[in-house]
Amino acid sequence: MVYGPAVRYLDHNATTPLDPRVRDVVIAVLGDAALQANPSSVHGPGQRARAVVEQARRAVARAVGAAPLEVTFTSGGTEADNLALLGAARALRAAGRPAGVLTTAIEHPAVLATARALAQEGHPLVLLPVDRCARIDPGALDGLLRAHPEVGLVSLAAANHELGNIYDLPALVRVVRDAAPHALVHSDAVQAFGKIPVDLRGWDLDLLSLSAHKIHGPKGVGALVHRRGLAIDPMLHGGAQERGRRPGSESVALLAGFGVAAGLAVAELEARASHCAALVERLRDGLRRLPGAEIHGDPERNTGTTVNVGFAGCDGQLLLINLDLAGIAVATGAACSSGSLAPSPVLLAMGFEPAQARSALRISVGKDTRVDDIDALLAALPEVLARVRGAAVDAAGWREVTV
Amino acid sequence: MRIVCAMSGGVDSSVAAALLVEAGHEVLGLTMRLYDAGAREPTGRAGTCCSPAEIDQARNACAILGIPHYTVDERGRFEGAVIDDFVRAYASGRTPNPCVRCNEHVKFGPLLARARALGAAALATGHYARSVDGGLWRAADAGKDQSYFLFAMGLPALADVVFPLGTWLKDQVRAKARALGLANADAPDSQELCFVGGGDHADVVEARAAALGIDVATLAPGPIVDESGAVLGEHAGLHRVTVGQRRGLRIAGSEPRYVLRVIPERRAVVVGGAEALRVEALALGDFRRLAPLGERATVRAQVQIRHRGRPAPATLELDGAAARVRFDEPIAAAAAGQAAVVYDGDRVLGGGWIAG
Repeated sequence: MVYGPAVRYLDHNATTPLDPRVRDVVIAVLGDAALQANPSSVHGPGQRARAVVEQARRAVARAVGAAPLEVTFTSGGTEADNLALLGAARALRAAGRPAGVLTTAIEHPAVLATARALAQEGHPLVLLPVDRCARIDPGALDGLLRAHPEVGLVSLAAANHELGNIYDLPALVRVVRDAAPHALVHSDAVQAFGKIPVDLRGWDLDLLSLSAHKIHGPKGVGALVHRRGLAIDPMLHGGAQERGRRPGSESVALLAGFGVAAGLAVAELEARASHCAALVERLRDGLRRLPGAEIHGDPERNTGTTVNVGFAGCDGQLLLINLDLAGIAVATGAACSSGSLAPSPVLLAMGFEPAQARSALRISVGKDTRVDDIDALLAALPEVLARVRGAAVDAAGWREVTV
Repeated sequence: MRIVCAMSGGVDSSVAAALLVEAGHEVLGLTMRLYDAGAREPTGRAGTCCSPAEIDQARNACAILGIPHYTVDERGRFEGAVIDDFVRAYASGRTPNPCVRCNEHVKFGPLLARARALGAAALATGHYARSVDGGLWRAADAGKDQSYFLFAMGLPALADVVFPLGTWLKDQVRAKARALGLANADAPDSQELCFVGGGDHADVVEARAAALGIDVATLAPGPIVDESGAVLGEHAGLHRVTVGQRRGLRIAGSEPRYVLRVIPERRAVVVGGAEALRVEALALGDFRRLAPLGERATVRAQVQIRHRGRPAPATLELDGAAARVRFDEPIAAAAAGQAAVVYDGDRVLGGGWIAG
């Protein structure tokens, strides 16, 4: 018996619960005797499975303003980001074109660590700084691109995973087209998809990463959306699936679920967004009344689903554990970084001291979050804050370790 | 009541947590991440506590017990209070005791504070020792007794700490672990220093010395001399020498010679016969009381100068934080920097660090 799940789930940026409508489709496909064949097989059963995959491809393409041929399915957002950066940068280099990467220090590790891996391969890496609210200055982007003609690929997330900041991708892409017309532009839209309209053509992007499990779909599938004809070197070598960009037999049931989840995310986008925004407004109001609370990120442009808040003098990890024991699930930062226990690299890049970065909680809501979930969190926090501050887990002798 | 159990990943702390669960407590497992495993760390080695692989073991044990598990980052504090102290001590000719330091500065300081911050009534560990009637006592399993390592925790911490294995024998603990289906039931006991990894302790000292501002020249070889000052040979560095050491000195002579003391200023090691190693008295610094002894007192006791060492009858003269131990019979001395722990039978009265 593993320790039981928390009752109130406020960690939707880590993952979202599977929508029952999506679950029903996944289970139906898994259980359908007529859909058990390999979608690459020539025979009738194979063709029926193929039809399910292609239906999902059309649904995902439609959800982000792309054509079905522009969608390459992957195992998730991380693989999509890796394929975008590694695949595009290596293809650029093979073509003798500038193949350096420009990104920010607040990107998801799937982008940042991949860019660093490319740097090890000799692709120059240029990091665009952000301000204390993690905003991007278009003028700084313009200047850096003109100073670094070796940049051939720009990667900017549409929404930040720890803060919920939204970035004006159409405007930023215009800056790139003007300052570096040769450069490709990738956006990790994993956290933006389903929260704001995402549009490959409307935003004038070359590459776009998506994940199913952040939009109430199943874990284990995602997509790299790319302009038709764009050269992407495959990371994996094998069969001709996904037009050779991503070999390996498709997970038919999960892809079917992804397609349904993508359709629902677009159809219900406005209703979900207004539901979440009202909850987040209530949460922000309540947090502002707590002593020593500081809300991080861009106060103007955000998804309206995420609040990153620091509590002066507290260790965020101790707040998280206390809340978990009270049946409320929150995060201290990206789930993908939590294994390292290091302070949030996003907050450090914004100029926060390590102790401040360690004092932060990330609270993220979703379509199934209820008002009483927010109220329970706000009701639990004063006692938890008093307990953690009262225990005075002293900072004397503490020292940050750089890994 | 809510109890935080410090989970190293080993069989002892896993069973300690299990016993608390069976006693009806609300138990949560907490593992400290103390250091990053070096790339050299060999796999399949006998487990040392708090390595990344052991954190996984602790998590698995908590899953079997049905209790929550969390990992907290104490790398910074461990590096400062334990590893750096260890390096400085060796570089200055003393022999440190990192396990005592870790218990004092990491486990029963910050970790206990974290337990309080989580609303816990107590902090439990898998140490073999007994916390009874406000005092610290030897474990029932004399062969596993770890009270020697615990003396520095102080009385206030002791009041908030429980040792569920204090009345258990190691064999019983292993049997219990097997009955619970814990994967680490038959893992060998850890023997080495957890943070030393694949090399030896001198590698750690040499690797970190420069970062601590220690003149690396102090780690260079120096003379081995006898008590008259005659040079007998050369040692490989003060950090590679321990008082009481006999082997590995590579000096000629028919009689066994032991390291008696070091002279850091001259980087010299003084050796002599077994008789010269014996002392009648020791001066202790930073004495900690785990029993109401009074500021100034003279107490008959038994004094133990190393883990698993034989307690020697002695008279303890206490004056504040200073103490002097006069042995009934001379004993072979331990190195400066080692702990001398004072017992009255099975009860720990206190302890201090051997001066020199």
